[in-house]
Amino acid sequence: MSNSLLRLEGITKKYGPNTVLENVSFEIGKNEVVGLLGDNGAGKSTLVKIMSGVVPATSGEYFWDEKKVDSVNREATEHLGVETIFQDSALVPQMTITRNIFMGREITNPLGIMKMKEMDRIAADVLDSVVSIEGIKSPKQLVQSLSGGQAQAVAIARAVHFKRSLLILDEPTSALAVRATEALLDYLRQLKAEGVSSVLVTHNLHHAYKVCDRHIVMNHGRKILDVRKEDTSVEELTAAVVGGAEAVKAFREAQAK
Amino acid sequence: MTNESKSQIIQAPASTESITKIRRISDNTPKKGLEAFKYNLQFVRGRGAFEIGIVLVVLIIGYVIAGLVIPNDFPFLDPNNLSGVISQAVPVLAILGIGAGILMVADEFDLSLGASLTFNAIIFIQVDAKWGLFPAVLAAIASGAIIALVNGAIVVYTKIPSFIATLGMSFFWAGASIWENGTEAAMIEDKNRNGAMEFLFAHDFGVFRSQLVWLIIVGVAAWFFLHRHRLGNHIYAVGGNAAAAQAISINPRKVKLMAFGIYGGLVGLASIMIAVRTSSMQAGGGATQDYTLFAIAAAVVGGTALQGGRGSIIGMICGAALIELIKNGLILGQAPYFYITVFVGITIVIASIFNKLMEGKAR
Repeated sequence: MSNSLLRLEGITKKYGPNTVLENVSFEIGKNEVVGLLGDNGAGKSTLVKIMSGVVPATSGEYFWDEKKVDSVNREATEHLGVETIFQDSALVPQMTITRNIFMGREITNPLGIMKMKEMDRIAADVLDSVVSIEGIKSPKQLVQSLSGGQAQAVAIARAVHFKRSLLILDEPTSALAVRATEALLDYLRQLKAEGVSSVLVTHNLHHAYKVCDRHIVMNHGRKILDVRKEDTSVEELTAAVVGGAEAVKAFREAQAK
Repeated sequence: MTNESKSQIIQAPASTESITKIRRISDNTPKKGLEAFKYNLQFVRGRGAFEIGIVLVVLIIGYVIAGLVIPNDFPFLDPNNLSGVISQAVPVLAILGIGAGILMVADEFDLSLGASLTFNAIIFIQVDAKWGLFPAVLAAIASGAIIALVNGAIVVYTKIPSFIATLGMSFFWAGASIWENGTEAAMIEDKNRNGAMEFLFAHDFGVFRSQLVWLIIVGVAAWFFLHRHRLGNHIYAVGGNAAAAQAISINPRKVKLMAFGIYGGLVGLASIMIAVRTSSMQAGGGATQDYTLFAIAAAVVGGTALQGGRGSIIGMICGAALIELIKNGLILGQAPYFYITVFVGITIVIASIFNKLMEGKAR
């Protein structure tokens, strides 16, 4: 049995004449928290969309559990157990928290009629146990009445509740308060203990460094660094994100002296 | 420093309660009585149906009082008015409003509604003359659904805005009606109309008619579908934020096509009622044209958002009832016809502004 959960091989993505990703290969291990780092425009978001099957790659291969996945689309990745929390569009603002949490996975009777009371009860439990609920009064609230951080928290709560095998979090901490961020990072560790892998896409190196076992740094559509936590430092990661491949080289030379 | 003062420093109680005490949502949820009612009420406000329902109830109370005080000048409670006008007009518009409303919740709409009504009614009359009532009912509903699905497929697969696509298709379906039946009116013969058809779709029970029974059936079924069925939940999700729905692997195209299909079936049902009521349908005439915008207006007055994701069945029914009751009141009060259009127009705009304001209050 191999240790690789998801492996991408030679992923290239072009939007018209623009090459957004160029020959990117990496893997996510089972039981691993991987930080996907990079500046704006580094190709992180496109990579997330390809991993989650929302956008097809121009070329490259997608392996799940070392088996090649031929048609990578959202239905296929959903079936594999990939859950993505997108930066801006994870929830439907006009719907209640409960309905958002159970969107597409409603608890129903055999006729498809939803069990609202049961869903409300579970939603309240999920909110209580997963994230800080500062200010959330009821799962019957509409998502549009929540703050950005609260909405983000609900999206995370949803993914966590439906324990998926791979959780991709796109800038999850960008709108969170300090306490909610800590709760989230704790949760990622806890998920790891339960056998869930996650990819944390973020600008915030300190958050990533805290929880991630491995860090992948992207720069202008290329992977420039792929190191385990033991072999790197916040300083090196900062150099990589800010300065690209040359900066990493310079940093390592300086360290060696 | 003495030992005592040292230990005091160490033992100074830190206020850890605020950190360790876990607040649970269920802790501050009132369980029963007025408190629970008030608590639950805040999750009903601004959802569409509540406010417009109050307006409708106030209007009805006003009409009933006027009907009791001045029955000769304002014969609202006259059985002829209740069964002859109200329970023929409200159900048809409400069923169309529910159809258009469900489609609007999915973030689409269909301007070929009126043309579809004419086509379906002609199909109903023709099939009834050849094969009888039951096949005719099925044919009319199927025809409505197919027309809507063709429109829907064009919108969903080409990504042309539904405004343009269905505007174009409305001319197509109007032409198709003439091709199917010529410009002569299609008539239902009395021997066909009397009996089951009349009983099912136009029978006068004194103060109400068969149409009202249909509205109740459609209303209850639509409510369970849109508000309680998981597929209804998907319609809200796709209409509210298609990207979020897709990220959770709901297919927006399938959901939108489903909404088109349901809408089309309801248009088919309404066209049967219109055909049976008037016993005829003429292709190329303008008889059904008004329904297109009135159905959308009913949904909008009832709190359905044009940009999708918001709306309720009760609101749609209230919206249709409000429009028809205002029309009825103006006719009973013998206002000249142009007043009626003017007032209906004002109602629609005011109700939309009102709903927009209420949306902000939604919790």
